[in-house]
Amino acid sequence: MPEPPESSPLHPPSGRRLPARDAVIVVLLAVLLLVLFEGPSIRHAGQDQQPGAERDVLRALGAPAGWVADRLPFDEASDDALAFLEDDQGGGAGTFGRAGAAGAGVPAVPSSSFDPAQLGEAAPAKRPLGKLLVTGDSLSMPLDAELARRLVGEGVDVDRDPHVGTGLSKEGLADWGELAARQTRRDAPDAVVMFVGANEGFDLPGARGPIRCCGADWAAAWAFRARSMIETYRQGGRARVYWLTVPAPRDSGRARISRAVNAAIGVAAEPYRAQARVLDMAALFTPGFRYRDARDVGGRRALVREPDGIHLNARGAAVAADAVVDALRRDFEVR
Amino acid sequence: MVFPSLEFAFFFPVVLVLSWVLMPWPRVWKPFFLVASYVFYGAASAGWAVLLAAVTLANQLGAVLIARARTPRAQTWVMTGIVAVDLVVLGLFKYYGFFAEEIGRSLDAVGLGMPLPLLELALPIGLSFITFQAISYVVDVRRGHLAPASTIDFALYLAFFPHVVAGPIVRAREFIPQLAVPRDPRRVAVGAGVVLIALGLVKKVAIADFLARNVVDDVFAVPQAYSAPDVALAAYAYAAQIYCDFSGYTDIAIGLALLLGFVFPQNFNSPYRALSFSDFWRRWHMTLSRFLRDFLYIPLGGNRGGKLQTARNLMITMVLGGLWHGAAWGFVLWGALHGTCLVIEHQLRGRNLHAPAWLRWLIVFNVVTFGWILFRAGSLELAGQYIGQLAEPGPVTVATPAVLAAVIGVIGFQLLPPVPLERVRLWFAELPAPALGAGLAAVIAVVGATVPGGAVPPFIYFQF
Repeated sequence: MPEPPESSPLHPPSGRRLPARDAVIVVLLAVLLLVLFEGPSIRHAGQDQQPGAERDVLRALGAPAGWVADRLPFDEASDDALAFLEDDQGGGAGTFGRAGAAGAGVPAVPSSSFDPAQLGEAAPAKRPLGKLLVTGDSLSMPLDAELARRLVGEGVDVDRDPHVGTGLSKEGLADWGELAARQTRRDAPDAVVMFVGANEGFDLPGARGPIRCCGADWAAAWAFRARSMIETYRQGGRARVYWLTVPAPRDSGRARISRAVNAAIGVAAEPYRAQARVLDMAALFTPGFRYRDARDVGGRRALVREPDGIHLNARGAAVAADAVVDALRRDFEVR
Repeated sequence: MVFPSLEFAFFFPVVLVLSWVLMPWPRVWKPFFLVASYVFYGAASAGWAVLLAAVTLANQLGAVLIARARTPRAQTWVMTGIVAVDLVVLGLFKYYGFFAEEIGRSLDAVGLGMPLPLLELALPIGLSFITFQAISYVVDVRRGHLAPASTIDFALYLAFFPHVVAGPIVRAREFIPQLAVPRDPRRVAVGAGVVLIALGLVKKVAIADFLARNVVDDVFAVPQAYSAPDVALAAYAYAAQIYCDFSGYTDIAIGLALLLGFVFPQNFNSPYRALSFSDFWRRWHMTLSRFLRDFLYIPLGGNRGGKLQTARNLMITMVLGGLWHGAAWGFVLWGALHGTCLVIEHQLRGRNLHAPAWLRWLIVFNVVTFGWILFRAGSLELAGQYIGQLAEPGPVTVATPAVLAAVIGVIGFQLLPPVPLERVRLWFAELPAPALGAGLAAVIAVVGATVPGGAVPPFIYFQF
């Protein structure tokens, strides 16, 4: 066996000793400087928390911190100075911010609302799947890796682009409207697999003020955002979108949000049946929208969820990948 | 609550101020700090705080019963009982799903059905560390190394927020005596604490997470998409990542404790400069090595029973050490690999094999890095694919200058003589308080700017 030093390695570090007052000064000074230079970030962080006591505390502290920082020039200066370190994943000018309510009157019904099969028409000829984008929040992991492993030998270029902690209703970390546009510009994928919904439930802007989760108004606003993204991803009909619904989570509070999200996904995809497929993970993993840890996999019961009661584990991701690959095969040439 | 978070940035200053204000009155300070620690631990789930309280009370009851037992035999029975309870609780949360599936699979193979309900229980964060510390307390009381502490002292020892989530695994006899007298407010290692906190943040956020994002996660997820140079680089990058992630956490924990007036044991000592596998385990996760040695290897007989028994004890210790990391065959194999290397090293000890130091370093470092592939891959199938790709020639696609600099920097720094590095640390630690505060704020702002989306991924060892 390794033999760590027999004597206890409990040595206080060498160096100068200071009064405890100095420890307090150091920490308070660091916090003060961060408030002055990063106040708005603190305010945003509070807004992006899941509802709960922590969020309330952060919002209570973030509001004055942001107020102070807004009145001083330090925040901009620090943003400029540190901009070179940031990954290019910021929100930028969002598209959702401009999203308004639907206009009056009966909206036109586009031809893309119909799947050719519904009309008894022949499906368009399958073309090879060249580029697949797998994206979403943490729900899209490890599904993205599972799909990449399966398709890497088929000549499919799989771009995995998860954005952990983000949501369509959570605007601080990423604006999915803008992100979808950027992903599409960058990759021009033939197909997009979208699996999002672990960080939803935040207020959405409405004409008469914020819309709270999870009634019909909120679902409609969420569906509008999802529909905008499908419109972007489908690239005028050139690409296919596979949007996965959210399996019921263990927590009942989250389940209420997921139910609204799933309903919104169905509505969002409705006008694009020719290009957008809704893959029902909720029914696959949680029939009746009742949470389950396990399901039959290859004739045996197996755990398919992570211990957090939200995400799919590796085996669950493999089951989801089966469904995605089946759907891809219906539209593309995939071995 | 986690260290690199906004919640903690508000929580810690409040606790620090009140802690030093209340320090002269232990009867007030102890309940205050206990509540603060439970707030920290229970922020994610109140249920976890309840479990921590239950583990605390059960072990304290066990320690008191041991002290009151009249015969050594009775003491041993009580100790065995309470350690068994600790291990059952840990096993239930950590291994239930894994073993239920494995048992079900085995019974399925002989035509019997699944005997146990398949449930995925959420592992309370830090439960492994809490369990090990509770066991160390009960066993030390049984061995006579320690008298039972007061309930509040023991509760503080287990819940003390700088170490409750991921160690270091502090022995009861190291920590509880520090509660006996109030910490001296005139002699606080402020500079050393701040330097450790800053260093830990840089290691975790700027290096470990950078390597994960830019190399490790992609290559380990789909190794088939990469050729030998990429998978080899990703393995070295993971060696650097896991070191920076875990030692970064430890640095922050030790630094926070220092600011509060407490001293924790060292947990890492440049592990990648090891010239033997024993040396590696003297330098890597030192407090776990100590625990395994004192509470598993030595009770098994250690190296007292000849070469064969020593080999058996080493293998058992290392395989269980691997399994401690999680319910997966990859961890078991990782432990078995290290066990095998230690056994071979033991067998060769005393023979006149004079390999040059550079060759020994090269072998140890590369075997350790190979072991990280088993540790990280996620499944044996993926580990096999990964190792298979090591023989697949092809171009280098993931080696950017920043990635190479990070990997070479992390490993190279550990090979430098420790004295100049210590001088640099001391120079920073000697700075006046305002300079330390400004420096800490600058480090937080700079490393924070490197985080995409503003959310720091969890520390790797949180899952263990």
